[in-house]
Amino acid sequence: MKDYDIIQHITGKSLFIDDINVPEGTLYAKVFYSKCAHGKILSLDLTESNSIKGVIKIFTYKDIPGINQIGGIVRDECLLAENEVHYIGMPVALIIAESKFIASEASKKILIKYEELPVITDPREAFELGHLSIPPRIFESGNVEDVWDNCDIIESGTCESGGQEHLYLETQGALSYPLEGGSLKVISSTQGPSAVQKVVSEILGISKNKIEVEVTRLGGGFGGKEDQASPWAALSALAAFLLNKPVKLILSRHDDMIMTGKRNPYSSDFKIGLNSEGLILAYEVTFYQNSGASADLSPAILDRSLFHCTNCYNIPNVKATGYCCRTNLAPNTAFRGFGGPQGKFVIESAVYKAAMKMNVEPNFIQRKNLLKENDYFHYGQKAVNVMSGISWDKAEKDFDLLEDVKKIRQFNSVNSLYKKGFAYMPICFGIAFTNTRMNQANALVNVYTDGSVGFTTGAVEMGQGVNAKIREVISRVFSLSHDKIKNEPTNTTRSANTSPTAASSGADMNCNAVLIACNNILGRILNSAADDLGLKNSDGLSVKDEKVLLNDNDTGMSWDIIVENANSKRISLCDYAHYATPELYFDRDSNKGNPFRYHVYGTAFIEVTVDCLRGIYKIDSVKAVHDFGHSLNPVIDLGQAEGALMQGLGWMTIEEILHDKKGKLLTDLLSTYKVPDLHFTPAEVIIKFLDEPNPVGIFSSKAIGEPPLMYGIGAYFAIMNAVREFNSNAAPEFSAPFTPEKVLLKLYENNFSEEALSPAVNNSDNKSI
Amino acid sequence: MNQNISFLLNNTAVNSDLNPASVTLDFLRSNRLTGTKEGCKEGDCGACTVICGSLENDKLIYRTVNSCLVPVMNIHGSHIVTIEGLNLNKSQLSPIQSSFKNEGASQCGFCTPGFIVSLTAYFLNADKLKSKNIMEYIDGNVCRCTGHSSIIRAAGNLKFEFENAPDDFNKRLLYLVDKNIIPEYFLTVKEKLNDLHIELTDNNTSDMPDYYVGGGTDLFVQKPDEMLSSSLSFIFKKNNPDIVFKDDGYCFVSASATVTDILDSALIKKIFPGIAEFSELFGSTPIRNNATLGGNINNASPIGDMTAFFLSLDSDVILSENASERTVSLKDYFVSYKKTVISRGEVLKYVRFKLPQSKYFFNFEKVSKRTYLDIATVNTALYIEYENDYINKINISAGGVFESPKFLSLTSEFLTGKKINAIVLREAVRIAGTEISPISDARGSDRYKRLLLSRLIYAHFIKLFPELIDIKETL
Repeated sequence: MKDYDIIQHITGKSLFIDDINVPEGTLYAKVFYSKCAHGKILSLDLTESNSIKGVIKIFTYKDIPGINQIGGIVRDECLLAENEVHYIGMPVALIIAESKFIASEASKKILIKYEELPVITDPREAFELGHLSIPPRIFESGNVEDVWDNCDIIESGTCESGGQEHLYLETQGALSYPLEGGSLKVISSTQGPSAVQKVVSEILGISKNKIEVEVTRLGGGFGGKEDQASPWAALSALAAFLLNKPVKLILSRHDDMIMTGKRNPYSSDFKIGLNSEGLILAYEVTFYQNSGASADLSPAILDRSLFHCTNCYNIPNVKATGYCCRTNLAPNTAFRGFGGPQGKFVIESAVYKAAMKMNVEPNFIQRKNLLKENDYFHYGQKAVNVMSGISWDKAEKDFDLLEDVKKIRQFNSVNSLYKKGFAYMPICFGIAFTNTRMNQANALVNVYTDGSVGFTTGAVEMGQGVNAKIREVISRVFSLSHDKIKNEPTNTTRSANTSPTAASSGADMNCNAVLIACNNILGRILNSAADDLGLKNSDGLSVKDEKVLLNDNDTGMSWDIIVENANSKRISLCDYAHYATPELYFDRDSNKGNPFRYHVYGTAFIEVTVDCLRGIYKIDSVKAVHDFGHSLNPVIDLGQAEGALMQGLGWMTIEEILHDKKGKLLTDLLSTYKVPDLHFTPAEVIIKFLDEPNPVGIFSSKAIGEPPLMYGIGAYFAIMNAVREFNSNAAPEFSAPFTPEKVLLKLYENNFSEEALSPAVNNSDNKSI
Repeated sequence: MNQNISFLLNNTAVNSDLNPASVTLDFLRSNRLTGTKEGCKEGDCGACTVICGSLENDKLIYRTVNSCLVPVMNIHGSHIVTIEGLNLNKSQLSPIQSSFKNEGASQCGFCTPGFIVSLTAYFLNADKLKSKNIMEYIDGNVCRCTGHSSIIRAAGNLKFEFENAPDDFNKRLLYLVDKNIIPEYFLTVKEKLNDLHIELTDNNTSDMPDYYVGGGTDLFVQKPDEMLSSSLSFIFKKNNPDIVFKDDGYCFVSASATVTDILDSALIKKIFPGIAEFSELFGSTPIRNNATLGGNINNASPIGDMTAFFLSLDSDVILSENASERTVSLKDYFVSYKKTVISRGEVLKYVRFKLPQSKYFFNFEKVSKRTYLDIATVNTALYIEYENDYINKINISAGGVFESPKFLSLTSEFLTGKKINAIVLREAVRIAGTEISPISDARGSDRYKRLLLSRLIYAHFIKLFPELIDIKETL
């Protein structure tokens, strides 16, 4: 079980970065950032802030000994602004002081002047101006142009999906301190220790082997700390390196919300063609992705939107185009689902619109077009072990959904103040980094001479239970109880050149690396035990609950003895192993290949009630059949599914990111940006395990982190259905999140006299709060 | 500037010279009690929740607070309980901790101590566990990982297992210690608090302070740094034995009453039998435990919930300065955005409203982006005396639609003496539209706020008089 970590948490003993006892003489950093979304820096006056007692030093880009560049995919992002600023929140200077408070006071005294330049926040506007971070990406299969004429139904439209704040409860931060010989240790709240190491190395102009990055755990990541933990680590490292002192930088919630990127908002155009039976013949989609001021991970996110643009539907003719549009917002970044949710929301909108035109329920079209065994995805991969129809039919049968639908219709026929709506939401999500190179992991497993085990991998624990899953693998191979197995913090000196813990693949890859290491060790130990027992070889030897068995009979030897014996014979009890996910390839010119190891499927049914008087709503129930494979740890996997689902529901409903025209984030505090709370949780959340083995998964399991988030998309359409029950004049619009504001306006669109909206007598410039 | 602050921290007496405006969270964390986390520093996440026990009339009362917003002056003489103070000896887990473990109700773990602390407060605070909703006690805690489902299961199991705990406080403590829900030292807390020798002298730093500090739930969100160097007078829970009382045909509510005090008051419950229905819409449990009526009114926020509530009761406020007092109608109290008629040196003492005489009804409506634990986009309260098919008296207030809390005087005037029907209400809604001037902001567009207020006015009547008006007639 997940006991070790959870016991630390429930007793308040787990140490996050801000909880670590700092080394003596630690200094505190505060980032001074741009208040202008696009402009030239005319002057930067540090005089007054420098004169404050307790201020040690204020750094700007001029102090960077290496190169002032942190762009991962595209080299387009400075650590500290040079002559121009590109978004509000762009770091300009770093104040180092004796206390957090002094650093914060000093930042208020920095004087900066800008020459303001035009601000673009809308991706389509950026596209018109040619502000693209990478050339357009086009995925194509069949030929849509040839097919439109054969379609009985053609619908087109636009679709908007908003950004999403990660709101990891632990804000970004790092603690860096000098080691001997010009080396540096960086303790970072990052999903990607090797990414931090690379950025720090380049900023400081020193080799990677002098930078030790360590991560014990994160207080949540959700993609927000995949690439965007690096700047804060690099800034604290910069100061620690130049001052030769420990430096801690922890972002306040407000600074974190302003300076860091969010889920990419998308604006999209779609066109869908079907025959009269409801079979989808063609689908064309164009994604205008709002990447923010630099590319960050947006190109990779865009690719995943293109991969998942057809969700779990078999569509013979597809043309999907993606534009990575540069705007003057904080660089947007990875967020659980990584472009998948954005792509799926568009196809579901298209299906919904087509269903309206055909006068059928969307689930008729959804069910009819679900992927089947040996269908091909539009990127050329064959769909195998497809669980689409199986999960749909099981949900329908086990939850008796037809009865639910009947009850909903009955409710609506007798209620006028409240209306109910429902939606089915099937999903399909590919598992692997779509950048093939990143699909590798390594692990170090040490068996100590008393039989206890320590391990370390590149995986970062952020609450997803990856270490518990690794313990489960070790426990199964060595047949040891979990309390004999301990994880060490993730550290670049032990696990080098690792991929970030992301793409739902952390457990798959790192467990596989650990499995190889464990098998190697066990092989050597059993060979040694065979020798102890006077056997020719280890055939028939195994360990079970710390006993050594020969053909299932107790040999009288125990685990700790054979371990000790092996060591005395100078046989290694430790192993370092490397795993590369097999059978992956992808040609980025034709955009065809086998990018994913396997796919995760499932189907959810969502029911909502809309208060038609007030425009507020409640998600009553989410019932899903999810394709977990044979779960390595059902408690963890259920928790991941429930948590991801809620983030998906939040993204579709109340989580609203707003900027003004000047590029200023309006929802920059928890008082204005609302994530689901306890009351928001549906009264009924039932997630059933499909429990079909995954032939290529570790112990037949499947990845879990991201896929269930996309069940949340159904909430949008369930709310839309309820609104249309009240107001048949409401035209469907696809603009997530479906906030109470949009719901109320939709409920009363073309549906009441607008007298109440007459302008006021005076229009003073008042504010709220 | 510093003051001597004494309190019991878990099982240890603390006596320190501290800036009274430094917040409890910072004190705890700088003293290596790092189980209490900083998640937002504005009372919106609950990661910093601690339990505060105080002696009130020789009774020990435990409530949760957001330690990020509580100045240490306000914990002077109290018992502060952090997660570290709830851990049992010898790595034994409490049933609350075990329940979290069994349900996997903790993922990244950052919010977890706050949840454990809040759930412990349920057992320490609730009079009758059977009738209290345990979920209410964690309504100020946000978890981003679990989606709350596993936490709800963990809390539900606890309620089921222990709801038969005795009601009497001393017996309850013994029971909780026996069940390992709290450590044994809790039995000696009252004694230890009495031993602290708190000097309850007036600690006003000035006769003319920059700020009077009540529960701090607004000042310490808006300007925590400024508080550290301002002259402050701390008036939280001082010299106010009577929180809510009747006098001379009026109901008086002390300005230093917290929202919890008001909601728990027997008199208020009697006057507003339906109050429990919307009381959860006011902030969260830890905020309700600290936010005062005076603070809510003096903050003059256009969307203060308590302000809207009392405006609809046509309340007066009683201001005092030294020995002199003056009474101002709440309708006339707000002069512009965040400005009131109060002058420097004056203190808001009481809010009073006439005890209802005839057949009356009351309703409160609030809509925000997130239904709970959110600031209103628009709120409105309605007080109506309705008899023999006519409106004898009506007061409607509205928040979020004007630069200050708004009494809809024209609308109320129009409705007085009228029958309730669709035609009358349509006209009332039209008039209300002329009285307001909402602006577009993060909470909603002006157009939305106009539409919303009109719907909420209808909602008042549809809720109170469903036989007189149907939603279809409002279109």
